[in-house]
Amino acid sequence: MFTCKESVDLLLKFLDGEMPEDEARHLEEHLEACPPCVDFLRTYRATPILCRRALQAQMPQELAERLTQFLRQKCHK
Amino acid sequence: MAEQQEVVPQEQQHADRELLERAQAGDLAAFEALVELHRDEVYGLALRMTRSDADAAEITQETFLSAYQHLANFRGEAAFGSWVHRIAANHALMRLRHRSVVQEAEEELKGPEFTERDSLAEYPATDWSRRADEKVLDDELRRAIQQATDDLPEGYREVFLLKDVEGLSYEQISEITGDSVPAVKSRLHRARLALREAIDHFYSEK
Repeated sequence: MFTCKESVDLLLKFLDGEMPEDEARHLEEHLEACPPCVDFLRTYRATPILCRRALQAQMPQELAERLTQFLRQKCHK
Repeated sequence: MAEQQEVVPQEQQHADRELLERAQAGDLAAFEALVELHRDEVYGLALRMTRSDADAAEITQETFLSAYQHLANFRGEAAFGSWVHRIAANHALMRLRHRSVVQEAEEELKGPEFTERDSLAEYPATDWSRRADEKVLDDELRRAIQQATDDLPEGYREVFLLKDVEGLSYEQISEITGDSVPAVKSRLHRARLALREAIDHFYSEK
């Protein structure tokens, strides 16, 4: 059976769905016996989702207007 | 258990296609409409990559100018938004390569600790994974994540932003960065572990 360290090392492969069946089974066996690793997997999976939300940005209006002016100058045929 | 990548909504793709056809026929107003639809995403990508408002504004200009200049070559196999995204990622990376960046040691990336028997040494502070579904994101958490992302060593930041925030594929990131797909995956995993630690630390301090 996998250790916690081996399981953590395989998380990306597991979540990407790229793990061979037998390897996935070994990982699932470890997760059944290790609640901390289950929490770890959940938080690992949630990390990119939270980060995406935290890092959303909107272009400030002034810069958006400058972009329009720039493109009108450069793209005018 | 394959992770879902973000998909451009059908209606937006349809709107983009109509505008694109008109833009390719020389309609500048149609191109400007496309710019307006996609400029926040492009600016956001550039700002996250460079952490500079000035650089992000310039990269946004360069991106849409490139897009305009190559409109005739764009055959529309990918969505327009994905196409400009990749152009922006290339421009942002070129900008970063031109800076003199102090490469931080890989060893500075924080990750989980293990006992001698390779068991998790510390359990996650709480199961904060459900916060990902909450409607409103805590401002302090937002700042903590922004700081933790800024603290990632450059090569890891880029890969994390391009994959987990911008939604590019491993192959696209490999093409843009020049790293192999296995190297991209390894960096992504380590970046995610470091960010997971930072979020965990945030909740353990609350």
